[in-house]
Amino acid sequence: MTTTEIPPQPAQEHVAPQADHADMAQSWVQRIASLRAWLFLAALVIGFEAWARIAFNGTFILNPFNLQSIAIFAVAPLLLATGQTFVIISGGIDLSVGFIMGLAAVVAAHVINAAGALMPLPMAVLLGALVAVLVAGIPGLVNGLLISRLRVPPFIGTLGMFGVARGVAFLLAGGTVVPVSNNPFFSALGNGRIFNVPHIVIITAVFVLLMHYLLSQTRFGQHNYAIGANPQAARRAGINIKGHLTRLYVLSGLCAGLAGVLYSARFNAGAAQAGEPLLLDSVAAVVIGGASLFGGSGTILGTVAGAFVIAVIQYGLVFVNVEPFWQFISVGVVIIISVLIDQAQRRFSGGRVDE
Amino acid sequence: MERRSIFKAIAAMALATTVAFAAGPSIAQDNEKFTIALIPGLTTDAFYITMRKGAQAAADALGVELVFQGGPEFNPTVQVPVLDAVIARQPDAILIAPTDTTQLIEPLRRAHDAGIPIITVDTFIGTGQYQTGSGDADFPLSYIASDNILGGRMAARALADAIGGEGKVYVSNVNPGISTTDQREEGFKLEMSENFPEIEVLETQFNENDANNAASQLQAVFARNGDLKGVFGANLFSALGAANGVQQAGQTGTIKVVAFDAPTSIIDNIDSGLVDVAIAQHPAEIGYFGVVSAYAHLTEQSIPTLIGTGFTVIDKSNVTDPEVAKYIYSD
Repeated sequence: MTTTEIPPQPAQEHVAPQADHADMAQSWVQRIASLRAWLFLAALVIGFEAWARIAFNGTFILNPFNLQSIAIFAVAPLLLATGQTFVIISGGIDLSVGFIMGLAAVVAAHVINAAGALMPLPMAVLLGALVAVLVAGIPGLVNGLLISRLRVPPFIGTLGMFGVARGVAFLLAGGTVVPVSNNPFFSALGNGRIFNVPHIVIITAVFVLLMHYLLSQTRFGQHNYAIGANPQAARRAGINIKGHLTRLYVLSGLCAGLAGVLYSARFNAGAAQAGEPLLLDSVAAVVIGGASLFGGSGTILGTVAGAFVIAVIQYGLVFVNVEPFWQFISVGVVIIISVLIDQAQRRFSGGRVDE
Repeated sequence: MERRSIFKAIAAMALATTVAFAAGPSIAQDNEKFTIALIPGLTTDAFYITMRKGAQAAADALGVELVFQGGPEFNPTVQVPVLDAVIARQPDAILIAPTDTTQLIEPLRRAHDAGIPIITVDTFIGTGQYQTGSGDADFPLSYIASDNILGGRMAARALADAIGGEGKVYVSNVNPGISTTDQREEGFKLEMSENFPEIEVLETQFNENDANNAASQLQAVFARNGDLKGVFGANLFSALGAANGVQQAGQTGTIKVVAFDAPTSIIDNIDSGLVDVAIAQHPAEIGYFGVVSAYAHLTEQSIPTLIGTGFTVIDKSNVTDPEVAKYIYSD
């Protein structure tokens, strides 16, 4: 697994000899920083494995059931965090993802129920999923337009959409949970497996790899880093910032939409509050994954590791049977350490350290 | 978490403003008719929506105007501004499901001091024993609710029956500190320890009302305890999540799931076999008796300080029986 740091580091070929020591320390810190989420993950897995072996002579990571369970658990937070990664790299934040996910879950449930009477059941599932993801793009589009055209700060614009999406989702759901009845294909989508790998994990993996490609290998991704690192320079370089930001928030909405569809497939029901607890997890996953909230840095693969760090902590602490409130503390500590590493990296690399 | 509480405060403020504005015009219209306000624990829950239907039925029968206002989350920060806005509107009586046993005492005392009679439904303030003369939080007239400890005991009996009276089980719960779900867990554990010594109750898992989390917790508990026999989901999302965890673990039918509350999504899961038993409260009954009690007080009748409503145990064998199906929470 190779993580590619896209924004090129300042050229360092012509460093004076006396700077050697500092330079070595700097590259060491940066290497650690760019891999920190994977190091956290490795440390956690080793820690839980040791705990399981010593405490009750079991195994944590060599048990395929545990791997499966953790992967299923990570699906929804990871999908939200994928969209959030793009947004955070651009220097923004999307607070509306949780309720856009709930909105999509409710829309999917309604459309599949309604369409099930009119067409073959697998077609109804396809239609419902498509409509739900597209509907999720609408609040994303409004976010994007507010932020790019009307210059509303992302925190405020998406906070507004947080409320709007929440209200619309609850209204559509009639204030309750919308069950999907009599559609075994939808349930199979959410709970079936191929070669013992859950469908929703496969779908998420393929989608996240596509997003990794989009961010690391395409012009869209390059522009995203450029805008986050220095918007003025990006504008002078001729990047269409307005258009880019609009597409960016639509993309975040679509990611949340997919998360909503997979949620309702899994639980056979659409719930407006499906993504409510996941907003903070999505931001935490991105930050643990190495992105900076100041914009300009971060990777999808880092976010994958960040999402799994959270999932492994929460699952692992139940598995080894620790008092549940330690979960909050552990995730909190990991976030703080992660940000400290980020700050140290900036100090070493001479970047701006915000006081 | 700090950011989230800011959202809640903002949401609550926005909501309170809406309520206050909405309140304006309608006050003067009918002075003859009693106005009774029902403030649920949260507006977005089938339980309270069904309670509202029962309350509306009683209001229609008695010629009373019912006002239904509440916050989107079960949280005092969200509920208190709504309560204040309702008090400002001076209804003839307030029915409320307080979101905290302590934090709602002073806000409700303001209503009491303004001369508005208060009845708590579903949840309570203080100890839940009212009109005792103790003077602290005994000012509400009546507490109308299911006996959640009894409900927890019924869940324990249903689960014990389903697993043959022995094996490992655990409670999937929301968060500690909520009077109703705490009592369900308490009743469940009491019944198990008193009458089912062969059943081992493992540590409770708290899921923050997140089905995804509840599912993952079930899988983790099962991974650790391969002989897990059953789980009690103390509310809707705990039960939905636990049932999905059982399904993901390929243990449907082997690990029994008992759900507290009976919205349609749980009933669907009984049909498909993912949930074995649902303990249905009678929220419509709570709403109905709430309005009737308030009306009785307003027309100078005396009312009991405690009214306990019942439960219905729903499983695959009786789910289609109309006498049972009427207790399913409607959308």
